Amino acid sequence: MKTIHVDLKAAVLGHVFGLPITNSLLMTWVVMAILILFAFFFGRNLKMVPGKLQAGIEMAISGAYDYIAVTLENDTLAKRFFPLIASIFLFVFASNELEFFPGVGSIGFFQNGVLTPILRAPTADLNLTLALAFISFFTIEITGLATLGLFNYTSKYVNLKSPVGFAVGIIELISNLGRLISFSFRLFGNIFAGEVMILVASFFLPYFLPVPLMAFEMFVGLIQAIVFAMLTLFFIKLAIAQPHESHH
Amino acid sequence: MQALFQAFGLNGSLILAQAVNFGIVLFALTYFLYKPINKVLEARQNKVAQGVEDAERAAEKLAQADTMASEKVSTAETEAEGIMTSARETAAAERARILKEAELRAANVAADAEARAHEASEKMFRESEKEVARLAMLAAEKILKKSSV
Repeated sequence: MKTIHVDLKAAVLGHVFGLPITNSLLMTWVVMAILILFAFFFGRNLKMVPGKLQAGIEMAISGAYDYIAVTLENDTLAKRFFPLIASIFLFVFASNELEFFPGVGSIGFFQNGVLTPILRAPTADLNLTLALAFISFFTIEITGLATLGLFNYTSKYVNLKSPVGFAVGIIELISNLGRLISFSFRLFGNIFAGEVMILVASFFLPYFLPVPLMAFEMFVGLIQAIVFAMLTLFFIKLAIAQPHESHH
Repeated sequence: MQALFQAFGLNGSLILAQAVNFGIVLFALTYFLYKPINKVLEARQNKVAQGVEDAERAAEKLAQADTMASEKVSTAETEAEGIMTSARETAAAERARILKEAELRAANVAADAEARAHEASEKMFRESEKEVARLAMLAAEKILKKSSV
């Protein structure tokens, strides 16, 4: 009797030096290898007169850079944060889309009658999304601290001038910490839910329903990659904004 | 909390590993992709700027050459006009000179011819006088001869 088996967490395939090797960690390495190899070979063969692929990628990169520069209103900061934001997008995007390649999630071995896939979408594992959320979070907070200075930056959160200001500061602080959760669970939830939905659809209507759902989930993967990168950008922008002086 | 971590399979070393993985991706993409692309974009931008500058300079030079050429043409025209007028003047002067010379020579020739004709007629006159005198003497002789007979 076939059943739907949903795993909220990635399966541990083995241990190396105490580090659990999960199927999503394996898939992360695959994604990394693909991205780095592509970057390596693409970056080596850049030409002064670009082909179609180079022209497209150049346009995307310079367009993203211009958008970041416009948002941050500062060229130095744009230069500093462009690699991070672009890499977040590319990494999350590649992870989300490679999930739909044949073999990911479907090749594995049976354990107690349940298929344990060797590869699992990295973003369908909270470990990766939380790691990215931490990177994003610390980048945002450290940038705020470095740009505004310790006193100026903390005055956004610890405001002793008025009771209302104090309450607002505390709320601000909590919402900043909440970003760790919202960042990680938004991405994880979207991708994981997509996987579950496709799993359920292929259980009930295996030949017709999964295809449009997969197309939709690929779109969701793109959107989530954009959302993660853009929110990082916007929160950096918020962090470097001067604290509001007295709103009476 | 522990149960929550367990449910999601959260693991500190895994989180760290994934963060390191992302760091590697960030590093690699920066050095293999963003920097080379940025370099190419900048190089191309410089080249385009250079091209535009060159084109502007070329247009300026062309305009300069145009004005120079038209200047040259106008000076050449005035020069040619000057040459023409001077040539015409010289030609007129020469003609006058030649005419005068010719007239003079003609006058000389005429005077010469007249003198020569005068001389010839005088000579003839003198000769004819001599002849007449001779004939007269002959006639007188004849008459003397006849009367003495």
